[in-house]
Amino acid sequence: MRTIDNLRRSGIGIEPHQGIVDAARSMEHAGVGCLAVVEGEHVIGMVTDRDLVRRGLARGLPPDARVDSVMSTPVVTIDADADVHSAYALFRSHAVRRLAVVRGDRFVGILSVDDLLVDLTADLADLTRPVEGEVFFAHHDAAVPAER
Amino acid sequence: MHANVGDRIIVKGHHIGQIERECLVVEVHGADGAPPYLVRWKDSDHETLFFPGPDAEALSAGQSMR
Repeated sequence: MRTIDNLRRSGIGIEPHQGIVDAARSMEHAGVGCLAVVEGEHVIGMVTDRDLVRRGLARGLPPDARVDSVMSTPVVTIDADADVHSAYALFRSHAVRRLAVVRGDRFVGILSVDDLLVDLTADLADLTRPVEGEVFFAHHDAAVPAER
Repeated sequence: MHANVGDRIIVKGHHIGQIERECLVVEVHGADGAPPYLVRWKDSDHETLFFPGPDAEALSAGQSMR
C-alpha cells in the first residue's frame, strides 16, 4: 500500500515568517496539533503544539516571534508513492511521530504514527476475530471420515 | 484536487459527532489550480494554508454538495 493511501486528513501549512500566535490560531481553527512550515510548495520544518509551549511560551518568546524560530528541522520526508512499510522504518530510525509526505519537492500532507496505529489496530481486530471465536465459544471439530 | 478562487472546500469530520467544515478558496498557490490554497474558514473567518487530503472535497462556485 502506498504511503499516500494512509493519509487521513488534509495538511495545514504556515509560512516561516508568521508569528507563533498565528500558528496557535491555525491549529485551533483547523483542529490539528501540527503544522507544516512551508516556503511555496516546499516543507522546511514542522511545528507542533508542544513546540509552541516548550520553545515559545516556556522561553518567554513574544507572540509575534517567527514560527521558524520554534519549528523542528530538518524534516523527515517520505515519497507519497513509497510503500507504507518504508514509513515504519523511518519512524523506527528517526524517533519522530510525524513524517512529511512529499511528491518530488512538493509537500502533500502529514503522516502520523497515530494514523498508522489506527489502521494497524483495525487489521489486528480482523485477525483476532477467528481466534476470539475459538476462545469464547464451544468449538466442535468436524467428524473424521471414519466415524461417518 | 484542482480549485479556483471562489470555490468552496468541504472537509469531513474526523471524530464521531464532529461536523464537516467549509472553507473558501482565497488564493491558489499551485500551478493550474493545484494546491496549496489559502482558504478562509466559514465558521471562524481565519485564513490558513491548506493542502487537501482524502477528507476534502472541492465544490466550484454555485455547486452544491452531493
